[in-house]
Amino acid sequence: MKPPPAVHYALEVQSLSQTYGNHAVLDNINLQVLPGQIVALVGPSGCGKSTLLKAILGTHKPTSGEVRTDGIPVRGPNRNVGIVYQQYSLYDFLTAEQNVSFGLKLDETTFLTRFFTPRKYIAKRREHNRRAKEFLYQVGLESACGKYPGEMSGGMRQRVAVAQAFIMRPKVVLLDEPFGALDEAMREDLQMMLLRFYQENLIAKREGRMPQYTILMVTHELNEAIYVADRVIGLSRFHTQGEKGAAIVYDRPCPVFSPDDPRDFSKFVEQREELRKAVFDDTYIKDRDKYVTFWKELSSLAKDVSNQRVS
Amino acid sequence: MIRRDIPAWLFWVLAIGGIVVLLTSYELVSARQTRINALQTTIPSFEKLGEGLKQIFRPQGQPENPKPAMFWVDMRATLWRLGLGMAMGVAMSIVVGVLMGAYRWIEAPLSAVVMFLSKIPPTAMMPIYFAVVGTDQKMFTSMVALGIFFSMTQSIYQAVRQDVSDEAINKAYTLGASEFEIIYEVIWKQILPKIIDSIRLQIGPAMVFLLAAEMVVGNAGLGYQIRMQSRILNMSVVYVYLFILAMVGLLAEWSLATLRRKLCPWFVD
Ligand SMILES: Nc1ncnc2c1ncn2[C@@H]1O[C@H](COP(=O)(O)OP(=O)(O)OP(=O)(O)O)[C@@H](O)[C@H]1O
Ligand SMILES: [Mg+2]
Repeated sequence: MKPPPAVHYALEVQSLSQTYGNHAVLDNINLQVLPGQIVALVGPSGCGKSTLLKAILGTHKPTSGEVRTDGIPVRGPNRNVGIVYQQYSLYDFLTAEQNVSFGLKLDETTFLTRFFTPRKYIAKRREHNRRAKEFLYQVGLESACGKYPGEMSGGMRQRVAVAQAFIMRPKVVLLDEPFGALDEAMREDLQMMLLRFYQENLIAKREGRMPQYTILMVTHELNEAIYVADRVIGLSRFHTQGEKGAAIVYDRPCPVFSPDDPRDFSKFVEQREELRKAVFDDTYIKDRDKYVTFWKELSSLAKDVSNQRVS
Repeated sequence: MIRRDIPAWLFWVLAIGGIVVLLTSYELVSARQTRINALQTTIPSFEKLGEGLKQIFRPQGQPENPKPAMFWVDMRATLWRLGLGMAMGVAMSIVVGVLMGAYRWIEAPLSAVVMFLSKIPPTAMMPIYFAVVGTDQKMFTSMVALGIFFSMTQSIYQAVRQDVSDEAINKAYTLGASEFEIIYEVIWKQILPKIIDSIRLQIGPAMVFLLAAEMVVGNAGLGYQIRMQSRILNMSVVYVYLFILAMVGLLAEWSLATLRRKLCPWFVD
């Protein structure tokens, strides 16, 4: 089942393939992400997850295929796509507040305006800092404001980095194993932050506004993927055309948790096992589209909802 | 035991003790030398050193037409050459080093050249400076500037490559930065402490080049004076000058360390 064509997508990846020399990494990746979705991307180590993110970010031109954000082709890293890396996630020489307002400064002022209209610039900066502070307060990071990254815990740094990316209101934010180097308690803080963003998306949709937080997140924790995201994608070579490269072999919706729900991973054991089998089991070779059912499930879900309304 | 801590008071007592021992043994050696030869000037006593100190501050020329004291003439000449030469060398190496770290097409033609030239000891190049630039003020400044340029360019270029990750640059693009903004707002800010540190490390070598050149062709300056005075065995002035050189070095070091702390409070080494 193809995704509906006329819809407005935050992110579209079309027939993207990547080979390095004669090493085929990615084969014909197609992916559409709606505004407000939190998509988790899982897959065996070395299957090309980071490669896919680099192509979406535009730092690495794919061998073939195209990436569009908000309908516009990506030609290089730009402010439509935000990124949070596992390391180097913040600028060492800026405090948390300055890190978050850094993008506003780069985006809304230029070197010339800073130099030639200093009064206007100072007023703008004050406004930027206020917005940055407000955002940090909103995500519960008021204690971080004046700290340099060297003075923060790893978890705090990652959350500030997420704020730094989202304050720019990009079409989509890419997280490449943002939790990778964190201990369990810090992971939970970061998961909560993302779940709250998802709640805000729901509120925005209900009020007819455009949801602001669209995320594509790489993680190696399957529980985390299902817990935080509303859609899970699996990338792997374990399909019938595996020699051509890794493909999306799993794409299904998953249960959405609210930050107040208990963190009960046992609720989705079934889906986790299905995901593990479909993506990570190298003895289970199947047709690549077998578990790629997101859009079908979505439309039947929509039908259910409208049927309910009729009855 | 290795690295075992000692009480703070003991540390200070020993630190001061070291200086006291140095000074007393100097005075003892000096006294012994004087006993052998009452007119010796090679190891002057502290009293003689005091006279040397007075001598360097004594106005020169006739009383009706006084000229500035030796010390001021030499200090001015040396500091001016050092300051101007270093300023030029530092400015050039920041521009070249940062651009090399930022653009592959600048890095490609220059990295091997810079690496190679930074390995030639600048003092060994002195004859070339004499021949090409002459022996005037220009020679001293260009020698200091070029003497530190290659190794400093090398270290700034390395700092950009090592301290500024691709991730930091890509992220700046996603935050809406232009190329110029990435150079100024990301690269420059990130390596500023490294730049200050490498300036600090270059003061020593720069002094070496300059003093060596002054000893060979100068007509004023600390190096020139040290050589002239030692030729007439007026060691009391020579030692005072050496002491002053140490103080200049310490002061420069301290002010750059302070500058780095003020400008880069985030930096911890
Ligand atoms: N620049 C490159 N040149 C050649 N091969 C590359 C390059 N970049 C990545 N690869 C190869 O592409 C494959 C995918 O790498 P990638 O980093 O995208 O995997 P990943 O899924 O992110 O792995 P991990 O889970 O370990 O982060 C690997 O086999 C890697 O060796
Ligand atoms: Mg990776």
